[in-house]
Amino acid sequence: MSQLQPIIEPELAPLTAFTARKRGGLRVPGWLSLLLANRKSRFGLIVLAFMIVIAVIAPWISVAHPTDFNILATRQAPSWHHLFGTTDQGSDIFSQVVLGTRRSLILGAAAALIATTLAATLGILAAYAGGIVDEVVNFLTNVFLVIPTIPLLVVISGYLKARGMTTMILVLGLTLWAFEARILRGQALSLRNRDFVQAAKVAGESTWRIVFGELMPNMISRITAAFVLVFYIALLVDAGLEFLGLGDNTHVSWGMVIYWAQVNSTVLQGEWWPFLFPGLALVVTVVALVFLLAGIDELSNPRLRNIKRSK
Amino acid sequence: MRWFLRRLVFYAFAVWVALTLNFLLPRLMPGDPIAGVLAHLSPSQIQANPGIIQTYEALLGGGKGTIWHDYVVYLHRLAHLNFGISTSNYPAPVSEVIGRTLPYSIFLVGVAFLIAFAIGTTVGMIAAWRRGGAVDTVVVPTLMALGAFPAFFTALLGVFFLGLKLKWFPIQHGYDSGLVPGFDWAFLSSAFRHSQLPILVIVSAFAGGWVLNMRTVMINTISEEYVAMAHAKGLRDRRVMTRYAGRNAILPPLNGFAAQFAGAVGGLVFIEVVFSYPGAGLTLQQAALGNDYPLTQGLLLIFAFCVIASSFIMDLANFVLDPRVRAS
Repeated sequence: MSQLQPIIEPELAPLTAFTARKRGGLRVPGWLSLLLANRKSRFGLIVLAFMIVIAVIAPWISVAHPTDFNILATRQAPSWHHLFGTTDQGSDIFSQVVLGTRRSLILGAAAALIATTLAATLGILAAYAGGIVDEVVNFLTNVFLVIPTIPLLVVISGYLKARGMTTMILVLGLTLWAFEARILRGQALSLRNRDFVQAAKVAGESTWRIVFGELMPNMISRITAAFVLVFYIALLVDAGLEFLGLGDNTHVSWGMVIYWAQVNSTVLQGEWWPFLFPGLALVVTVVALVFLLAGIDELSNPRLRNIKRSK
Repeated sequence: MRWFLRRLVFYAFAVWVALTLNFLLPRLMPGDPIAGVLAHLSPSQIQANPGIIQTYEALLGGGKGTIWHDYVVYLHRLAHLNFGISTSNYPAPVSEVIGRTLPYSIFLVGVAFLIAFAIGTTVGMIAAWRRGGAVDTVVVPTLMALGAFPAFFTALLGVFFLGLKLKWFPIQHGYDSGLVPGFDWAFLSSAFRHSQLPILVIVSAFAGGWVLNMRTVMINTISEEYVAMAHAKGLRDRRVMTRYAGRNAILPPLNGFAAQFAGAVGGLVFIEVVFSYPGAGLTLQQAALGNDYPLTQGLLLIFAFCVIASSFIMDLANFVLDPRVRAS
């Protein structure tokens, strides 16, 4: 079907202007200043930078080993001594949250990297190759979209007895690619008949070279947006699995703190600090990424941006 | 009609993938799932259920037969809804456990998801129509922020503030203790009361996604010429918004319904765990923690079927709403 489309699109003029602006965005200071100029992405970047700083300096600002327990100081409300209070076992929640930050960011980013690599390769290849390759990839993507991810991950985690960080990165990376592949395929479809792609094709370049050398560099801002999207979804899913007691069980994490709070029904006893602080840490990180994503969207969709500015 | 057949082929294939994935997963995993399951049954329990080991072997592998033989037996058992016995609910078979818990989940997610869809698309439509208005600047960011909250966190906040502090809602379980599930007024009213807070949490978690989606599409739709034409004809503003721009803008979000619904089913697991709600999500977590693999297998299949079925229903809605689909 897709072969029947006309090769030359009528609306080339605005699109070339659009790509030109994005080419300028490829240089490092260029894209950064672009992102900082937008209110939403600036906010997202600043908050994200703050979380990264926390993650880096975590071992120095955590006051206690996260699994140290102290029977004399259990269930304490936040105070100067324990900023975020203590758990049932008397562990310091501030230390747990701060150290969990490092783990969550690394796990989310690594899983998102795997998923994005898979999604970009499959999505762009499908869009460019068209025909049967496209049909197969599209079909598979849609099938994976109707298989609910969380139950699937719960079942997989149930089978895995040793769930280290690497295992969870792989499991998340290999399950979260489908919706991203669909987004990127759609966007690559709008590029595949552009002059520079046709020129490369006429010059006899191989499919892989066109996918990786021509299409991918021109979609870098869209791939970045997709990466940010999967990053925060991976953070949410990962924390969710830990909350269910089915995540990485070798490190202290935000989700794990809330899991133990839930198991010991601390909420029902009126203790709000064991779930509020790790939950807020997760929410702040996710909101930062959502704002960053919204900023990138506004930058690459002029319609969303212009009307905003006229306000 | 061709479009319809294509969709049917797709769904048949999706069902097959779900079945086969479910068959392969325990075989691909490290360890010996069947030993984990049998460890939960005493020798006398195994003896009391002849054929149970064969059923487990067909489901989980580890038997002497070839994988093809297992696959045929597996499909045969599934066709008879025979998933074996749930070890954590002995002596109840898996199908009975699912039949008991699924209605709670379907009610919760069904009602909540329709409300979230209705609120989300309406807010998204109005926000795009009046950019910078009250809805666009207050309601949209609020719903979006709530949507970014992890479902279990929203649920815990709800339990703590609305349930524990304000005492507006019951906070645990699906109905008052002491009641027996059945079709009588005492049980149904209690169950309805207990479902309110979970439903509120699901709505607040999922309305934001629809808002964003609808608003983005609507903004693009508004600059279409037929909308300007409708204005030029002198139609009332509201009519142009709902019948011209809104009706067309709702189609792309509808196409994302299946993926959204799959997400809501996932969110359901977290919410049921927070509320100790006796649905299929809580059962899935308990089964996964307790090595009750026959039950996790059965539940995963049921979840996948529910999403596929809802997606099919959405296709039918699309068929009714979009003349282009009907014409093809």
